[in-house]
Amino acid sequence: MTTYFIRRFLLIIPTFIGVTILVFTLTRLVPGGPIERMLNEAALAGAEGTTSMSSDYAGSGGSTLSDEQLEVLRKYYGFDKPIIVSYGQWLSRVIVLDLGTSTRYTEPVWDIIRSRLPISLFYGVTTLILTYGICIPLGIVKAIKHKTAFDNVSSALVFLGYAIPSYVVAIGLLTTFAAHFEWFPLSGFVSDDFDQRSTLGKVSDVFHHATLPLIAYVAGSFAFTTMLMKNSLMDNLAADYVRTAIAKGLHFRSAIFRHALRNSLIPIATSFGGNITLILTGSFLIEKIFNIDGFGLLGFESLVERDYPVVMGILVISSLLFVIGNILSDICVAIVDPRVKFGADGSNQ
Amino acid sequence: MLDPQTVKQWKRFRSIKRGYWSAIVLLVLLGISMIAELLVNNRALIVSYEGKWHFPTYAGVIPGSVFGLDYDYETNYRDLQQKFKEESEGNWVLMPLVPYNAFENDLRTDKFPPYPPSLESKHYLGTDSTGRDIVARLLYGFRIAMGFALVLLVCSYAAGILVGCAMGYWGGIFDLLFQRLIEIWNTVPFLYVIMIVASVVVPSFWTLVTVMVIFGWTTMTWNMRTSTYKEKAREYVNAARALGAGNSRVIGIHILPNTISVIVTFIPFSIASGVASLTALDYLGFGLPPPTPSWGELLSQGTDHLESGWIVISVLVAIVSVLLMVTYIGEAIREAFDPKKFTYYE
Repeated sequence: MTTYFIRRFLLIIPTFIGVTILVFTLTRLVPGGPIERMLNEAALAGAEGTTSMSSDYAGSGGSTLSDEQLEVLRKYYGFDKPIIVSYGQWLSRVIVLDLGTSTRYTEPVWDIIRSRLPISLFYGVTTLILTYGICIPLGIVKAIKHKTAFDNVSSALVFLGYAIPSYVVAIGLLTTFAAHFEWFPLSGFVSDDFDQRSTLGKVSDVFHHATLPLIAYVAGSFAFTTMLMKNSLMDNLAADYVRTAIAKGLHFRSAIFRHALRNSLIPIATSFGGNITLILTGSFLIEKIFNIDGFGLLGFESLVERDYPVVMGILVISSLLFVIGNILSDICVAIVDPRVKFGADGSNQ
Repeated sequence: MLDPQTVKQWKRFRSIKRGYWSAIVLLVLLGISMIAELLVNNRALIVSYEGKWHFPTYAGVIPGSVFGLDYDYETNYRDLQQKFKEESEGNWVLMPLVPYNAFENDLRTDKFPPYPPSLESKHYLGTDSTGRDIVARLLYGFRIAMGFALVLLVCSYAAGILVGCAMGYWGGIFDLLFQRLIEIWNTVPFLYVIMIVASVVVPSFWTLVTVMVIFGWTTMTWNMRTSTYKEKAREYVNAARALGAGNSRVIGIHILPNTISVIVTFIPFSIASGVASLTALDYLGFGLPPPTPSWGELLSQGTDHLESGWIVISVLVAIVSVLLMVTYIGEAIREAFDPKKFTYYE
């Protein structure tokens, strides 16, 4: 078991290198990198400048930077070396936790990411608590009351959440409750007068803004987890050991909570790791729709603006989280299910 | 003849009313979108001019001069219909149900678009912010989205079945190698990659399909690997081998037909996710280039023009109902292939 986890942790390294090298190469191969973007901006500024000033400068036109200056810029961003060399340099800096400097904000990437993390963390943790807090009890009740009115009605709701992607849910909520009824604010994390509010006012302000995005977030994983809980509990209720427990005179209720429930939590534990990633990275679609200044929106904006150091920094963090999440769910399964022995033959099935 | 198992599954599928009717409605919708040009178009169905009938729908451009108008570019059939009516010389024009196509900006002098829904102007769901008819955008967008999802499905399933079968069947180093590759592949945030690609080349239908297949083949591969692995361990495979069947025969004739239920049950969900991801990309502006009719583009227009509620409402209703129907079908197929019977204790 221990050797299995050690091996899993060691396997992070090739996976991590594979992912980063792939995206790094991609960002290098595409034209229109940060230098081209700056040139464009400089040219635009130059053009505006010439129209307002006398027409003497109009003739010079074109690039406002000389070739030597361009060369210096390329060297500064490492564009003058072959991909594999500059990837090596980038990697050696990442190992000492230096993610580089943003080309857009000229700030260290880590500082930018760190400033956005609390917002995404807030949404991620709340979503996780809500998801498991609602889904597990709901799944249990649905399994016990299978095919009753309660089950059918809640199934319809679950089904809706299952069929519709969360960004469509988000847009639907935004249109109905923010734009039409004006019960909730349209966007943002807090109001403009946030700093002047009392502590209670601050909390209520955050949740007032967070209600709709949170519903959209929860809708994404709600249906899956609830049905997983319900189905696995029903599988266990139909199993022979529950029959035995009831046959020897155990109450139905204690048969569920003492025997069936524990076993049916195993699949839920498997899905836990995947949700860890969601905690920190969030969903950039939902963040974009509600204009929440979190991790996801940062990734989206830096992609649009070709701010590749930030893109790579986000990739580093999210891919690490993804791999660690996978390992965490293995650990969860091992805790919940004492039968599981990883590393033995056929365990990959 | 169909084998009795398939007949049984079909009967079970038909008995699940929700899924069965969703399948019918969706097929009808697909059929309608195939002949969308006859129902939603700015070209007339039939023009009767001086005793001669013209069918402009699928024909080339008919210049206005053919119908006695004073211009040589394409005839504006809505105006022609108006003109013939006023002249009442026995000429007539039969227009489709919605006389607009998906690209046409219906601009007026007295108002700025978006126009609200109106029966009189035949914009039954209104227009978008550049004056294009929403019914037309929705219908043509539906055709493109479904076509996209189907092509994506065929390509990624072909790759997935091929690689997955090989992984499960041969195992060993080959299996291990691909396992690592898939793990790396799954870690790459593929929406990011598509966005990087889309920011360089304006993505066409086929570049989008290619990129999505490159990043979407892993799911099916993984499922096929597992089920091939399971099937391979069963006795009938050993029996076939003992009788001297080669690898290709064992895979093609024995294992594949037994894994078909895995493939079929995944189809509706893949279609739903294909439509959903194309719409998401279009919404972000990294999908098919404008002015391609697309639901995602309508969604982003709708959220930008929340005061013109008809845009966002019609596209939301369209997305939700289509995805719901597809998922109903998926649920019914899954139940038809694998009916779960539970015993309860009360």
